[in-house]
Amino acid sequence: MKRDALPNQPRPLQIGEPIPRADAPAKVAGREHYAVDYYAEDMLWAGVKRADIPHAVFRGINSEEAEKVPGVLAILTAKDIKGSNRQGVARKDQPVLVDDRIRHRGDGVALVIAETREALREAIGKITVEAEPLPGVFDMEEALKEDAPWIHEDHPGSNILLKGHITKGDGATAFETCTHVVKATFELPYQEHAYLETEAGWAITEEDETVSITVSTQTPFRDKMEVAGALGLPMDKVRIIAPYCGGAFGGKDGITVQSLLALAALRFSGRPIKMWWEREESFIASAKRHQARCRYRLGADATGRFIALEAEILYDTGAYDHLGGAVMALGLEHAGGPYRIPHTDLKAWAVYTNNPVGGAFRAFGVAQATAAMEQMVDRIAEKVGRSPLEIRRLNAVRRGDTTPIGVTLTTSTGIGRCLEIAERHPFWRKRESWKAKAGPFRKRGVGVAAVMHGMGYGPVIPDTANAKIELTSEGSFRVACGVVDMGQGNAHTFLQMAGDILSQDLSRLELVLPDTAWTLPSGSASASRTTYTYGNALIDAANLLKERILKRCADLWMVTDPKELALVPGRVRHLPSGRETTLAEVAAFMDETERTTVAHYRAPQSPQLPDLEPNLRLHGIPHVVFSYGVHIAGIEVDLLTGAVTVEHYLAVNDCGNILNPQLFEQQVQGGIAQGLGYALMEEIPVTEGEMKTVNFSTYLLPTFLDVPDMEVIDAGGNEPTGPYGLKGIGEIPTSGPLPAVANALFDACGIRLERFPMTPERVLSALEGNRP
Amino acid sequence: MKVLLPEILEMLWEVWEQNPGAEVYTGGTDLLVKLREGVTWPPALICLERINALRQIWEEEDTVVIGAGTPHTALIRHPLIQVEFPVLVEALKVLGSPPIRNMGTLGGNIATASPAGDSLPALYVLNAEIVLTDAKGSRTLPIHEFITGPGQTGLGPREIITGIRLKKTAPYTVSRYEKVGKRKAMAIAVASLATCLRLSPDGRIESARLAWGSAGPAIVTSPEIETAMSGQPLTPELLRGLIPAVEREVSPIDDIRATAVYRRKVAANLFLRLSGISEGGASA
Repeated sequence: MKRDALPNQPRPLQIGEPIPRADAPAKVAGREHYAVDYYAEDMLWAGVKRADIPHAVFRGINSEEAEKVPGVLAILTAKDIKGSNRQGVARKDQPVLVDDRIRHRGDGVALVIAETREALREAIGKITVEAEPLPGVFDMEEALKEDAPWIHEDHPGSNILLKGHITKGDGATAFETCTHVVKATFELPYQEHAYLETEAGWAITEEDETVSITVSTQTPFRDKMEVAGALGLPMDKVRIIAPYCGGAFGGKDGITVQSLLALAALRFSGRPIKMWWEREESFIASAKRHQARCRYRLGADATGRFIALEAEILYDTGAYDHLGGAVMALGLEHAGGPYRIPHTDLKAWAVYTNNPVGGAFRAFGVAQATAAMEQMVDRIAEKVGRSPLEIRRLNAVRRGDTTPIGVTLTTSTGIGRCLEIAERHPFWRKRESWKAKAGPFRKRGVGVAAVMHGMGYGPVIPDTANAKIELTSEGSFRVACGVVDMGQGNAHTFLQMAGDILSQDLSRLELVLPDTAWTLPSGSASASRTTYTYGNALIDAANLLKERILKRCADLWMVTDPKELALVPGRVRHLPSGRETTLAEVAAFMDETERTTVAHYRAPQSPQLPDLEPNLRLHGIPHVVFSYGVHIAGIEVDLLTGAVTVEHYLAVNDCGNILNPQLFEQQVQGGIAQGLGYALMEEIPVTEGEMKTVNFSTYLLPTFLDVPDMEVIDAGGNEPTGPYGLKGIGEIPTSGPLPAVANALFDACGIRLERFPMTPERVLSALEGNRP
Repeated sequence: MKVLLPEILEMLWEVWEQNPGAEVYTGGTDLLVKLREGVTWPPALICLERINALRQIWEEEDTVVIGAGTPHTALIRHPLIQVEFPVLVEALKVLGSPPIRNMGTLGGNIATASPAGDSLPALYVLNAEIVLTDAKGSRTLPIHEFITGPGQTGLGPREIITGIRLKKTAPYTVSRYEKVGKRKAMAIAVASLATCLRLSPDGRIESARLAWGSAGPAIVTSPEIETAMSGQPLTPELLRGLIPAVEREVSPIDDIRATAVYRRKVAANLFLRLSGISEGGASA
């Protein structure tokens, strides 16, 4: 007994404990090898010539001068591609290298392979593009016009990638019965993911002709299929290795450097080839959060009960799908927020333009819809004369209610509890006295936003994971994780789950990061589904292995009931007698195949809305499990400069049961910081498809000084379908800050903007009475 | 690219002679940005950070001389600078970020001569004199004569800034620097104002020194406004009455960070903020 009290005794990981993440020390010390960190002796460099033309018929390149650059080994074009030369998740519309049409400035037209990075840069600079410019389409409304230039000739009908229209109850006709009606338009900006690690990786064609690609990605198994298809390779000849990602946020949910690297590696078999986009290239070529235009109308009865909602949301998906259809669908599903609204008429479009590509980004279309809806809710509250929390409590969905698109909520629904906790919080209760303390030339305001986010891939695409866990011959446990950790901490959570089940400490747990040759397909690190889906699979695999170990021990010790045995760190103990054996000894009594268990899990999929247009269902509507939250921002506005300082921030969350409070807090705070950037400063002005901010000297992200202390409160939920009761948490915090700050700005100064972010210049202009 | 590290000034002139076309730098916080962008790609770089004589701070009678290679952080922490020139300390505290303040130097901020350079409005209100040195000797120019336009200075060929001379004066009642950027750190000033005021016990302005940054091709000062403030009580009415003069004096530009309209408005509003200084107010 005394032994157990010693501080250095192994302590099994347990669910619910705020254990510092296992990946932190190596990352903080710079020892972790990201995809970008690989170098080899005879390594070649590959890079892309970008079109820098927004729309044109592509005729070819002139590479004569580039070929003369010493150290340049090859310049490849679409003609060197044997496969479909098309990539994309839903619609395969994006070429690896342009073959017929240039559709945005970031399109790649040639792949250069050189001995050094310097030669690569010089050669890329010497390639010229031969193209016949076409009229470009740079505005979503223009793109929808009948006579607009058609960006994808093979896409039936128009520049509409995908549209959705859902009505509930009497639709828009119900506005006739409303006492209060508010109407507004919102223009939301592009947002750059701005991961520290830009798109990067290295590839090599092995002796058996397998192309191995080590890459910064969220989607190793999907990448394998995409690379094989685009380049015409057999599936078993592509291997993807995915180290920890240096940030992704959705920006690596899909192909970046993979096919290009493979194309280069095929040409120079046996030689390692590296590609690493510079920051500017990352801006120009990567997908961003869709810029969006939202038109909203919300109606309520005299007491503030919501009656009718009409919404039209346009998402600018730019030149390619890149999950733009799915982004639009998720935005449409969440257009009305976590509210009971009997009558709705909701429309959304994902529109092709010649602008930068819009794609997956944490909060995936919901950030835009929430930005609009939550400001509408505040407008109604103001008209009715009820407090922002009161109006939300009055209208918040409860389990059994239907969402604004008509889906009955059948799983844990904690928005009501979040609102109650927020309402009791001292910052909310004492807000008036806090506001009164603003200094000269300053005003303070407090704003609220309620958020909701569906989890997983929706009703059609199987949301599955396959976990594998092995008892090694040394007696430790190896968790083979086929789903990426892009920084959010799921890898640690998996170890915590395995450690809890197997009663092991961190020193006896190993993690194998995704590798399509060793780990099992487990879907993407995205859609707030990573820990939920893989975690459920892992729990089964770990329990199976535990049972197998205990049964084998029971056999060895001639114990009748395996329940008399328990796993303790590094050992198995017979509880009645106290007899022990090491796990290494147990492993020696097991065949290699016995020491590994696998388990498959498929997340629940909604049977609801069977009559919904099949394409919308395919793109993810509707979901089954939703997380909820309430955000409160306390801001101070400088009336002389228009600068908004966020002084207080509070987020109350229903994300089910929390497995590790420290990781939970990190996820929520990171999401809020990213959301505050979206609210206050991040935007990319684009003219004729050209971005005006392509690096961090002009594209501004919040610094430490721009982000306040954030109080993260767990509302104490439990989702029975989740691993240990957990729900998704990765995305939901990002949607709250923009509307919470916007509502606080109105509370402080009585102004509302139409165009975001809320830069000092826009705020000052509105303070002066200019149209927002 | 060759990087040369002379340790005394004599060595500098020698290596410069041997490497014509070399660019000279100390902290590199501006130069590295230009190199990365390919704006400049000299055959060699000469780094001055090892020349100790450029990193000293000393007093000569009523003047404090700051070695041009002194990093901002060292100045912020220096007791003499804190006591004598709080407006400069205020300005340097909001320059860039901690790593940039550790590397960047006062001489470098002057040589870059950006209208947004955070030290410059403070140096203008302090009437700084710039000591310029080449192989033959030294000369001294007032800062407003040294800086001739955005990125333009009177620096001669193979000449460097070796020192900044600041005259000690009777203490100001108010020394402040307010910077408006698009975020709270690592931001380039969209508009800024350095202010030194000497107030009498009854709240009258005995003397005023003002300099606006990012409000024109160079730092903007206005003897007209300073004279108009002199002898007056510091009231909102006084400042409001002078706002047309401020708007006249500044000539800002549009760029990716802000419009000229906004810069002009904020340049005037920063001036208006001075009315928030409480009576007999300590330096804010």
